[in-house]
Amino acid sequence: MKKSALILLAILSSVMVLAAQQGAQPPARAGASEAAAQAAAAERGRALFKQNCAACHADDATGGRGPDLIRSSLVRHDKGGDLIGPVVTGGRADKGMPPFPLADSQVADLVAFVQAQITLFDLHTRFGPYPNDIPAERLATGTVEAGKAYFEGPGGCTKCHSVTGDLAGIAKKYNPPDLEVRFLYPSGSPTTAVVTLPSGKKFEGTLLLNDGFYVAINGKDGWYHSWPRSAVKVEVTDPLAAHAELLQKYTDADMHNLFTYLVTLK
Amino acid sequence: MKGALVLLSLGLLLTVRVSAQELDPGKLLKPPTDTWPTFNGDYTGRRFSSLTQINKENVGSLSLAWAFQAHATGMQSMPLEVNGVLYIAGGNQGWAVDARTGRQIWHFARPGMAVSGGNKGFAMWHDRLFLTTPDAQLLCLQAKDGKMLWQIQIADPALKAFGGVAPLVIRDHIIVGTSGDTADLPGFLESIDPTTGKIEWRWDAMPKPDDTVAWNSWPHDTDVVTRGGGMTWITGTYDPQLNLLYWGTGNPHPVEAGDARLGANLYTCAIVALNPDTGKLVWYFQSSPHDTHDWDTVMTPVLFDGTFKGKPRKMLAQANKNGLFFVLDRTNGKALISEAFVPANWVQGFDDRGQPIPRRDKEPQPDGVLVTGGVGTNWQAPSYNPETGLFYVNSRETMGVFYLTMPGKSAEGWAGRDFFLGSKSMLKAIDVQTGKIRWTANTEGRGGQFGILSTAGHLVFTADMSGNLVALDASTGKVLWHMYPGGSLGTGPMTYELDGRQYVVYPVDGVIYAFALPGH
Repeated sequence: MKKSALILLAILSSVMVLAAQQGAQPPARAGASEAAAQAAAAERGRALFKQNCAACHADDATGGRGPDLIRSSLVRHDKGGDLIGPVVTGGRADKGMPPFPLADSQVADLVAFVQAQITLFDLHTRFGPYPNDIPAERLATGTVEAGKAYFEGPGGCTKCHSVTGDLAGIAKKYNPPDLEVRFLYPSGSPTTAVVTLPSGKKFEGTLLLNDGFYVAINGKDGWYHSWPRSAVKVEVTDPLAAHAELLQKYTDADMHNLFTYLVTLK
Repeated sequence: MKGALVLLSLGLLLTVRVSAQELDPGKLLKPPTDTWPTFNGDYTGRRFSSLTQINKENVGSLSLAWAFQAHATGMQSMPLEVNGVLYIAGGNQGWAVDARTGRQIWHFARPGMAVSGGNKGFAMWHDRLFLTTPDAQLLCLQAKDGKMLWQIQIADPALKAFGGVAPLVIRDHIIVGTSGDTADLPGFLESIDPTTGKIEWRWDAMPKPDDTVAWNSWPHDTDVVTRGGGMTWITGTYDPQLNLLYWGTGNPHPVEAGDARLGANLYTCAIVALNPDTGKLVWYFQSSPHDTHDWDTVMTPVLFDGTFKGKPRKMLAQANKNGLFFVLDRTNGKALISEAFVPANWVQGFDDRGQPIPRRDKEPQPDGVLVTGGVGTNWQAPSYNPETGLFYVNSRETMGVFYLTMPGKSAEGWAGRDFFLGSKSMLKAIDVQTGKIRWTANTEGRGGQFGILSTAGHLVFTADMSGNLVALDASTGKVLWHMYPGGSLGTGPMTYELDGRQYVVYPVDGVIYAFALPGH
């Protein structure tokens, strides 16, 4: 129960952070307190729901003897209790649901809870913020010893990394799934290239384009440069080459062991 | 002979009935030349044009004929071309554009509605256009002026259903499907009367109890079978001789929680063959039984005839999102080829019909699992060229990490999280006789998945992974023409001939580019 409340809070705060990052109007105090009020209402609603509704609709509103409310068309079309309210207070005699003589404010709390549950379920998508709070314990199903052995042995990780150097405290920098995804393949590390002109002059920098027709780099001199591909020699260095290679070799156990080891680097 | 006479008189009848600007229904039965009357150009889904004016000898001089600015974002619409007019759909809008000049004829916009959204295109029937919208409505517009004639609600947007599919016209039926994956909801196909908007039949991706095999492919200690999935969000194909409609269905719900729905979960992730007059299922082929990775089977089921291992066959080929390439006998749905076109570690083998058997240990897990195979390709249409016998697909090799975030039987919606790492994208040409890759085009770059057109000019048109529009030699994959359009190809290219001039049209973000040879 407490955990769900925390999750909800986490969602709300990440939504607000997102809004702030996108340069939207800073959320007004009223907006923040409204969200807090909504969360408080949902919490009161949770208790009411457990007491009155959960026997048929389950604690999480996914249904049992009674319908699943998460994917109920009526619930999802509800606006401020206009559809849910009459069903709660009037019951559904034809379907065996008794009336629940609750006060308007209690109905409002129930509606807030059900809407929060819907948000929670809808956020379990590929893009939603929610699953980023997967706890480290859930991912750390390997052993530290096996992870360390892989890191120092077959993984070849020590060729570029050191747990007391660049990786010191790495587990503090990222949330658990981000840490895992980043050690598997730390996207975003730029590919670099050395471009040699016919004159022998060399340019080095971050590779921006190499499509077979043109090559473009952001040079070490801070300037953008491009050339027809056929006119120059290009040597590309992909810092992720070792990660890409390893990515094809990992077993699921290797991944779990490595995570279990790396998450100790706090 | 008698058949030919009947066909001829039918043709005459239609010619008499159709006014100059209407779509002649007979055009849907032929490979596209002067007309591109439906999402895939014709019923086969081959996206092969017999036009040869632009060919491998002269494509290097292809240049811009005109460009049309729709001033819209996120466009994924395949334009139709009928009697010199292009019809281009947007989320809640549409355009008619002169196919010769690129000048706007009309613009339709639903008042008060957001204008973005990934609509895949219009369908056309005589003088009417059909559009599915983000709020899951089907709209009927008058083609001459864009005036709306009627609209009907086809699914519930409160359950996160949305429209986007380009409907398919079969005689006097408008076949339409739906999209949505956030909340659990069942998929379906409907046949709509084009004059009245009335539903003629509905096929549900979720089985009824009397359909024993399919019904038993779901557990019944919960009501998960009613939530199903099986979205029908990409246009299918049609064989007029067999009178069979072929359509791919999407993933089951909850998407990544396999324990909530043990069993094969029919008819999700399947190619289904339906009678288009009744909506009755004739056969199915499930390309991802018990899918737990969002591997919809909506990629175009491409139809072609020929010999296979010395025997004449009516075939259907599909490059699937799950990394597998299938060639089926389209009379009965039995696989002739089931072969991976990218590494696919989720498969442990194939059953006697050629359907893959998934590995239980590669289902999403609370602590994550590494999965290859998806997204091997996506909805952007492939192409089959009967002259080379090659099936062209823009493929992607990637490592997926799948987390189950909602274990147990009460999981709903997506119920998981996935990441795709270290993607490598490339165009592959697959030999339909063997399922083996004949060549891979050197199109590495940023990545992206784009639709494909092939022509009798011995060309394959698509975009490369750096966003260049390209024309390749159909036999070798050599790049013969390229142009950077300043944006991303949102769907695939199409082609048509007008006044003796062949145009190749590329929709790029909010711009429609038409290319032609100079001097024509």
